[in-house]
Amino acid sequence: MADEPRQHSSGPPGARREGPPGGPRKGKRQYFRKKKVCRFCVERVDFIDYKKVEMLQPFVQDRGKILPRRMTGTCSKHQRWLGEAIKRARNIALLPFATDL
Amino acid sequence: MEERLYDLIFICRPDTPEEEISKLVATLEQAATERGGKVEKVEKWGTRKLAYRVHKHREGFYVYLVLRATQGEMIKELERRLKVSDPVIKYLTVRLDEELKRQQKLVRRRERKAARRPRKSAGTGEQAVAAS
Repeated sequence: MADEPRQHSSGPPGARREGPPGGPRKGKRQYFRKKKVCRFCVERVDFIDYKKVEMLQPFVQDRGKILPRRMTGTCSKHQRWLGEAIKRARNIALLPFATDL
Repeated sequence: MEERLYDLIFICRPDTPEEEISKLVATLEQAATERGGKVEKVEKWGTRKLAYRVHKHREGFYVYLVLRATQGEMIKELERRLKVSDPVIKYLTVRLDEELKRQQKLVRRRERKAARRPRKSAGTGEQAVAAS
């Protein structure tokens, strides 16, 4: 795995193999995270429908919490729309506010 | 006043007979047309599990309507009717036309961008063009 020599190869050579070539943030960190892409941007969603529960479900925890952006990789615009849609879905009992059963 | 588009969803008790729901929808439709509105679409989603308990029910019969209205009075009246009718346990009205407008705007913008892009890549930046 000898690709072009970097200016700073502070991480151990073993760890470099894991990351994608030219991956995000090659610093002192020894682990690499795949860059998350906003799922709605990829699919070019302009309107998040609150009626499609199966579309909203992956962005909600089991207990009913809305997952943060840092977990799902959603962009800020779509996260805003998503939050709105989830809140509407909650209002008509399509999604839970909180579950403890 | 311009036309507005609304979504209206209401949930009936799961034990209400189907005819009663149809009757209710018919009265709503009539009330809407009387006030210059129109019911565009009626969908019966059937009995679904509720995400939480509503009036001690765990299931409910969902009915979904799409409405066109020219005056807010109509929505007021429909919501009043839903509130007083016995089988309905929950309802929600959402105004949609502004969001649809926003959506159309985004689509238009993307189309414009898509139309512009090939030219841009061919020139490799407008700077070269602008400089000349």
